[in-house]
Amino acid sequence: MVADALTRVSGSARRDPGAPTRWALRGTAMLYLGLFVLLPVVVILQRGYSDGLTNLTDALDNFGAWNAIKLTVVMAFLAAIINGVFGTLLAYVLVRIRFPGREIVSAIVDLPFAIPTLVAGVMLVALYGPSSVVGGWLEDHGVKIIFAAPGILLALLFVTLPLVVRSVQPVLAELDREEEEAAQTLGAGSWTTFRRIVLPALRPAIVAGGLLVFARSLGEFGAIVFVSGNIPNDTLTAPVFITQLLSPGSFGATGGPDQAAAVAGLLFGFAFVVVLLTEKLISGRLERTS
Amino acid sequence: MKMVRVVLGAVVAALVVVVAATGCGGGSDSSNASAASGGDCKAGDSPVITLAAYSNPYDAYGKLTSTFAADWKESHSDQQVIFQMSFGGSTTQAENIVNGFPADVYASSTAPDVQLVQDAGLITHDWTQDENGAIVQAGAVVFAVRPGNPKNIHNWNDLTQPGLQILTPDPSQSGGARWNIVAAYGAAMRGEVPGYAKGSTEDAQRLLEGIFKNVTVLDKSANDSLKNFEAGNGDVAITYDYQAATSIAAGQEEEIVAPPSTVFIQTPTVVVDKNAEENCVEPIADAFVKYLHTPDAQEVFASVAHTRPIDIAEAKKGTDSVPPIDDLFTTDDLGGWDTLIKDTVFGPEGAFTKAFAAAKG
Amino acid sequence: MSQQAHAEPLASRGRPASTPESRGRAVRALLVGIALLYVLVLIVAPLAGIMYYGLRNGVGAITDTFSQPDVTHAFYLTFVIMLITVAVTTVLGLVVAFVLARDRFPGKSLLSAFVNLPLAVSPVVVGLMAILLFGRGGWFEPFFSAQGIQIMFALPSMVIVTIFISIPFVIREVVPLLEELGMEEEQAAWTLGASRLQTFFRITLPNIRWGLFYGMALSAARAIGEDGAVLVVSGQVQGRTETATLYILRAFDQYQPERGYVVALTLAAFSIVLLIGIEAFKRRSLKRAGQE
Repeated sequence: MVADALTRVSGSARRDPGAPTRWALRGTAMLYLGLFVLLPVVVILQRGYSDGLTNLTDALDNFGAWNAIKLTVVMAFLAAIINGVFGTLLAYVLVRIRFPGREIVSAIVDLPFAIPTLVAGVMLVALYGPSSVVGGWLEDHGVKIIFAAPGILLALLFVTLPLVVRSVQPVLAELDREEEEAAQTLGAGSWTTFRRIVLPALRPAIVAGGLLVFARSLGEFGAIVFVSGNIPNDTLTAPVFITQLLSPGSFGATGGPDQAAAVAGLLFGFAFVVVLLTEKLISGRLERTS
Repeated sequence: MKMVRVVLGAVVAALVVVVAATGCGGGSDSSNASAASGGDCKAGDSPVITLAAYSNPYDAYGKLTSTFAADWKESHSDQQVIFQMSFGGSTTQAENIVNGFPADVYASSTAPDVQLVQDAGLITHDWTQDENGAIVQAGAVVFAVRPGNPKNIHNWNDLTQPGLQILTPDPSQSGGARWNIVAAYGAAMRGEVPGYAKGSTEDAQRLLEGIFKNVTVLDKSANDSLKNFEAGNGDVAITYDYQAATSIAAGQEEEIVAPPSTVFIQTPTVVVDKNAEENCVEPIADAFVKYLHTPDAQEVFASVAHTRPIDIAEAKKGTDSVPPIDDLFTTDDLGGWDTLIKDTVFGPEGAFTKAFAAAKG
Repeated sequence: MSQQAHAEPLASRGRPASTPESRGRAVRALLVGIALLYVLVLIVAPLAGIMYYGLRNGVGAITDTFSQPDVTHAFYLTFVIMLITVAVTTVLGLVVAFVLARDRFPGKSLLSAFVNLPLAVSPVVVGLMAILLFGRGGWFEPFFSAQGIQIMFALPSMVIVTIFISIPFVIREVVPLLEELGMEEEQAAWTLGASRLQTFFRITLPNIRWGLFYGMALSAARAIGEDGAVLVVSGQVQGRTETATLYILRAFDQYQPERGYVVALTLAAFSIVLLIGIEAFKRRSLKRAGQE
């Protein structure tokens, strides 16, 4: 409003960046993402699919291929749900509750970014593996975590926790408390307030975070390759399978970079579509409610 | 407001400094003259030799390269050879070389990996005719067990006992894993494993199936596999004897059990002709590889890397670090790597392929 | 129940409301407890494990590790790569953020999906991408080798893959801030005659600076922590193409795990300090500005 008023007053106002700047920005952005993201993706797709679907079908014919993909997708999904819940909880606790050591916990949450995934994997095995105190006790009671599917989930949860927390935290911090206070004035309990008012406001952020977790989990290699055992049809995940395809030497596998590229293309095509669809869903919903 | 500028300015300034500094140090190796399209080639005062080796013998090659460089300096008017070394999975190194890693010398753990490099046109001479068939190190596949051998592992069939947890690496990522599988296969085929008929591929397959039923972890490299075992996981690790011996010398608590029959591990080291030529270091690279076959170098391998003598008759006797073996056979005795990989063991109908599918299907 | 709400001071934006009721406090304590337990089991334990294994033979492990020339070179290399990565992903990330937040054109959501794609790509695939582009037989290899420039298995490829994996962070932090900010202040500045660049530096940047710094810090942390992709493209030449993370892997391989853990701890400590630092500065700055 002020701007409009001032525009009317001073004739030579520039109200928007103007076409040249807009195109310069667009061009730079496209060049950057084009070179660094699109190009590598294209080279993979070209390598994997220039022969049509043969590379993909050959790759999937390999021993353990389908189960590797299924396991990866299921684990990614579970990780998204679990860290979606716990990540939101953590964000809530960090924003709304004052407790001693809050800053430290906040910084620790970001740690998985800085710890090399291979080191994390080694550590998780050392801490929770069958020869550790915790792991040994669990195994005695029939619960196997490391070198079994739960270990994969554990590794994924470690690596992806920051994604949800950092997605939800800023939104929660900026949330206007008036609606909540109004609700409480009207007699709503804390949980109802949370469920009916806070959660819906956080939903886009939670979903966005969950999507990131899902996408990241599809590709995670370092933390998993130590923790899972890599047994085909059991604990072998897609990223490790792709690595195997790159240096074929076993299982009568054909393998090779073309097949590896085909499976890689499949995985990130999948991630791409899921992210795109869900974001459209969320923003669609947002526009409808506002 | 000011802070933003300060930070961004600092980042840009640091960036400029760093790029300038590294621009001179380089993403490209500048201390070698290059023989661009067969031109004049002079190695210069400080020729660089790039060695890509499999992960195990880092200590040995560390010593061997510095001894060689010192000797060379004396005998070649102060020319200081610099060795750049990379250690990693044998197959990974081969693939890297094929993809452009400028290794002048490749120390592999299996002949097929060298074949990969040759097939890409980077090795132009018949390396199998090199001195000693290009073999510089030798060993045998053995079992690493807990002190006292609580599970009583003595032969390959003992590995099939129910409830045993075996560690062996992933054959699609590790050359060492293939040695392990070939060892089991060969021992069965030669009739040296009780309960498995000589010459019977079905029995060899049955043995492999029994073993792999007990494998719960496939680590991505032989090194990782042994380390995993040493961290307390599993009951037995199938491994190279010299790798286990190095571990024990480093203080790990484990014992080596040699089965009566096992494969003779022979690891070749070759000059990668095309790269060596391009980097103008071929004579030096050749000299280095030759040096590896001298008694002095072999002594280093034996004492530092705990390998066996490369002569099989001598190797059977064992050394201070590794036990003697009754029946030591080579991959040639089984038809050669090509047959093993494309057909009998790792081929589509191979004993291991079918055994693994049965065990983990 | 409704009386209780009136008894509370009306909480202002962002400040947690404290309920005198003990049940509320118990619930909150429970929530904090669960959250902390989760963080403990998942993150603190591994970190403590690294500390334990690194330092259990005494703090001398630290001096021993840092006296290794390979270690100092590895840190130097990591630092260089991080710096270049942060610079590139910040400057170009800002451009992308502006386009995503302010511009409107068909296919914009596609662009947004591309920004997030690097998060989904496995390190091995990143390495494969680099090989297919710059390795022998790759799309750009003939061009670069004709110039005598080594990309693959040398610093350039390591920088390129690190940039690739760090692309999302600055963008993701800045876009929501820009969207929320709106263009009013900037438009006001323009009408008052400020140039676009001046407006950007004097108005826009200060408003987004904390998100920007945080994104840069995340970018830095991610860059120094990357192991998988860099492993594939580096060639692992000791003392030359070894980053800190690659040194860690070699230290484990070569029976020197303490050194590996010490280096890992250093990386983690660097990131923690960076992130805590930004949080602290932000708090102080916001307090000074009267908002909290």
